[in-house]
Amino acid sequence: MYTQESTQATAATLIQAMPSVLDAFPCPICGRVFSSHPLLLRHYASEHPSAIAPVTVTLTLNGRQCEALIEPHWTLQRTLQYRFGLTGTKHMCDKGACGSCTVIMDERAVLACTTLTIECEGKSIQTIEGIAADPKWKPLVDAYCRWDAMQCGYCTPGFLVSAKALLDKNPNPTEQECREALAGNICICGTYPRHATAILEAALQMAKGEQQ
Amino acid sequence: MPDYDGANGLRESFRVVGTPNLPGRLSFALATGVAKFGIDYVLPDMLYAKFLHSPYAHAKILHIDCTKALALPGVVDVLTWEDEDLKALNLAPARGAPRPLFDNIADKEGDEVGAIVVAENEDICEEALRLLEVEWEVKPHIVNLLEGRREDAPVIRPEENLQPSFGGRKYSEDTPPKRGNVYSAYMTSGDIDAGFGEADHIAEYSLYNPAFSSHIPNPSGTVSWWSRDPYQGEGANLHIEGAVRSRERIASLYNMPNEKVIQEGLFMGGKYCDWGLRKSQQITPLLAQRTGRPVRCVNTREEMYDMQMNERYVYMKVGFTNDGIITAVDDFSIADNGVRGSSTFGNVGDLVQGPYNTLSCKNVRQRMEIVDSNRGMMFVSGQHCPFNWDSLTMAIYLIAEKLDIDPTEIARKNLHGPTSKDDRNPVPSFDLCIEAGKKLMGQEWHKSGTKMLPDGRMHGMSFRYQMCPRHSGAIYRCKLEYRDGVVHMPTQGPLFGVYNAECNAMVVAEELGLNYEDVSIDFDYREPFTPMGGGSDGTTASAWAMKECANKLKKMILQAAINNAENPPPASRMGAAPSKAPPGPFKGLQPEDLDMAEGRVFIKAEPDKGVPIEQASEENLFATYIGRPPLSVWSTGSMGQILDVMNTAYCEVAVDTETGEVEILRFSAVADPGLVLRPISLESQIDQVMYFSQGCQMLEDYIYDKRSGVLLNNNMIEYKKPGILDVAPVERQFLETRASNAAYGASGISHSLANTHLVIIAIHNATGVWVDPPATPAKVLKALGKI
Ligand code: FES
Ligand code: FES
Repeated sequence: MYTQESTQATAATLIQAMPSVLDAFPCPICGRVFSSHPLLLRHYASEHPSAIAPVTVTLTLNGRQCEALIEPHWTLQRTLQYRFGLTGTKHMCDKGACGSCTVIMDERAVLACTTLTIECEGKSIQTIEGIAADPKWKPLVDAYCRWDAMQCGYCTPGFLVSAKALLDKNPNPTEQECREALAGNICICGTYPRHATAILEAALQMAKGEQQ
Repeated sequence: MPDYDGANGLRESFRVVGTPNLPGRLSFALATGVAKFGIDYVLPDMLYAKFLHSPYAHAKILHIDCTKALALPGVVDVLTWEDEDLKALNLAPARGAPRPLFDNIADKEGDEVGAIVVAENEDICEEALRLLEVEWEVKPHIVNLLEGRREDAPVIRPEENLQPSFGGRKYSEDTPPKRGNVYSAYMTSGDIDAGFGEADHIAEYSLYNPAFSSHIPNPSGTVSWWSRDPYQGEGANLHIEGAVRSRERIASLYNMPNEKVIQEGLFMGGKYCDWGLRKSQQITPLLAQRTGRPVRCVNTREEMYDMQMNERYVYMKVGFTNDGIITAVDDFSIADNGVRGSSTFGNVGDLVQGPYNTLSCKNVRQRMEIVDSNRGMMFVSGQHCPFNWDSLTMAIYLIAEKLDIDPTEIARKNLHGPTSKDDRNPVPSFDLCIEAGKKLMGQEWHKSGTKMLPDGRMHGMSFRYQMCPRHSGAIYRCKLEYRDGVVHMPTQGPLFGVYNAECNAMVVAEELGLNYEDVSIDFDYREPFTPMGGGSDGTTASAWAMKECANKLKKMILQAAINNAENPPPASRMGAAPSKAPPGPFKGLQPEDLDMAEGRVFIKAEPDKGVPIEQASEENLFATYIGRPPLSVWSTGSMGQILDVMNTAYCEVAVDTETGEVEILRFSAVADPGLVLRPISLESQIDQVMYFSQGCQMLEDYIYDKRSGVLLNNNMIEYKKPGILDVAPVERQFLETRASNAAYGASGISHSLANTHLVIIAIHNATGVWVDPPATPAKVLKALGKI
């Protein structure tokens, strides 16, 4: 069953499995596979001339450089799920209203459902898997679980990423600061009262850990 | 009725039950994003499907020309309602006249209707939908119930005439037949005229309740595929991820044996009584079958605005004496019948199970008009239905206002006792809740508009009570295994967002003298045991059944430990012989001489002599139990006409009469769940229900364009759920009278604290004016006559 250790290991495995260099370029319309992007573009020009051709992007994702073939209008959330197998970045509203898709980009919490993937090149992105795989954040994961700061858990990764973004900047937040940092996250199950408790407990544990 | 019948039902000391902060067994997967919901599945070679959605609130498709869509590169399949494979899929409707699973009639704007496209990616699906040439016959629609019930309203379902019913209850003979869009359901008990004749006062008032959206956070998403695997027996297997918990309905739809339908994912997302299978979940397997590839079909958030509570208008007349005794209740309401197939929980279900069952007063008339509409679908029920209409809470408040008596006192005078409506003494649980509630609130009742806070805002407070609706009558098929020295609790997955399996594991650990962590919950979709059934009353009922099972297993382990001592199995001659721990010193003893505690099996008379449980025996043992606790008094006593445990809730608000801003200063709840099994689950349940209640009274509403019938706010920006900065503090206190029927006298609290007007009453208490929910500042100012 799931433990802190097993989920940490799974998250690390998912990150390792992300493709660093592409060696196959399938056509999203007809499924034919090409060995390079230029060949795929040539195929588009001849077979699907009115369609917008896919592009390749290189992202720095959870500390790793990785490459993906995407359509130019794809959001980061879609790319994470469909190309990198990282499904912890959820989508609930798809409109920038719920925070379920929160990731950290260049140290800021941003919404992956309203961020185009092509805008992310050259930026450092951390997803919930990156946080889960990093033992430093064990106290935060532990505290969320001890306090049932989740019911169905669908929104929870988004909350946890927002919490981590807060603790990055402010390792010793007040309860009100915790609440403000989570103001953009909606939990339809109504778990709000326990988030600040969990974050404050994690902050305390992390501070103790640093002192030791 | 405490837990007299079950093993150790009156147990006095608890080591595991009641322990705070034990993590949920799926929590780490959820918190780290490792958990996969239906929508998260991405398979190689996967296709995508999308439904045509109706732009009209009510329409019929006469014809669809699919030629252009089919010619679009990347389109794999287009099905219309006339497709023979689709027509062959038939499911007995939950309610209403039989109809095809997928047809050409759109009952609401956004309805999935007429056609489905399957393509290589979602963008191509969208483009193909745009290329469909659809000939619509637009029909008149009803999204406003008050207009829909008028004589001159267009009749939207003239061919349907199936009286909404619930639980086989009979309506009074004076119930009129269907008229236009309106069904009626009347129920009367006692003598209403005599009751009003006895009254010194009559209060007349009305309540409005807006519709309230479903609580499903994860967009319904299904991925389905077919496989063959000799280990699963002959024939094809149907895989479906992202469907709701019960595979039976999918299996019957596809004429498959249950065991050939596979759902391995454990995470179902938030459901909270919405168990309805969406069309995407029902039809995706067919698409996968036709194309021979996995197919993914996801509902967008816009398509997820099904109702958890239907719109309703209530007009009340209540007679009462100078002492505050209610003598007659006359309740006339207009409720939404929704689109075809909507649940009757949203309307007549409440007549049967409404709040008046708790009153001593027997003179109660309920007349409901149920109006066909094109507003939306209510799949099953919600936390507010069918028990929590605050029509009675409001009566108690108005009587208190009129007579200047604390509402808790009015409630006490009118609540009947534990044995019948003639029993004048409230259940002890009620008095205890009130006593604790008064301490928690720490202030005296005041009349409306009489208390100003130091900051100039007006102070208001309100109170309500509710029994725990114990609708769990499920039979639980429990199994516990002792394997390789570990106790396993095989449990059906997937689960939705509650911690009922954990409560069961705590009870098993308690009975077997184990630590909570030592009970392994093995989630498996094939297992028959589910801790669900009813609300949290189902959790406590399943925990009761699991308690019986644990005691059966305990006897088996003790016997096996003696067998192991007397006649140990021979060592294996194959491979390296595993080192064997010596058996326990149990030779010549009987199982009654042994006990289990702290992970050990030991001799009762000499507790030092024993062995760790994993050493007790090498046998694989399993115990089964099928059954449920004796039924609760709620379910045997006409849903509240006999009472045992009660719950109370309080709300305090501050209203700025200049801006109309309402701040909920706090919700308080004093609940008697009988016994607390898992404290944090109960706390979360109360937080959740107050959050739901705050949402429906302060923010949430469905806004339709009357002319087109289009739902205007089906998105999370305009249909606003409260966020962390909106939610009011919730104080909770639990009493443990152990007066209930399930494990150790527990009952859970189920829906009992959801409320529709607790905040609204507190606003009235602050300002002296009624504001219909959602109580936006503009509505408050309007009610105050300031705009
Ligand atoms: S899914 Fe991105 S904010 Fe809601
Ligand atoms: S836990 Fe279900 S949405 Fe937050």
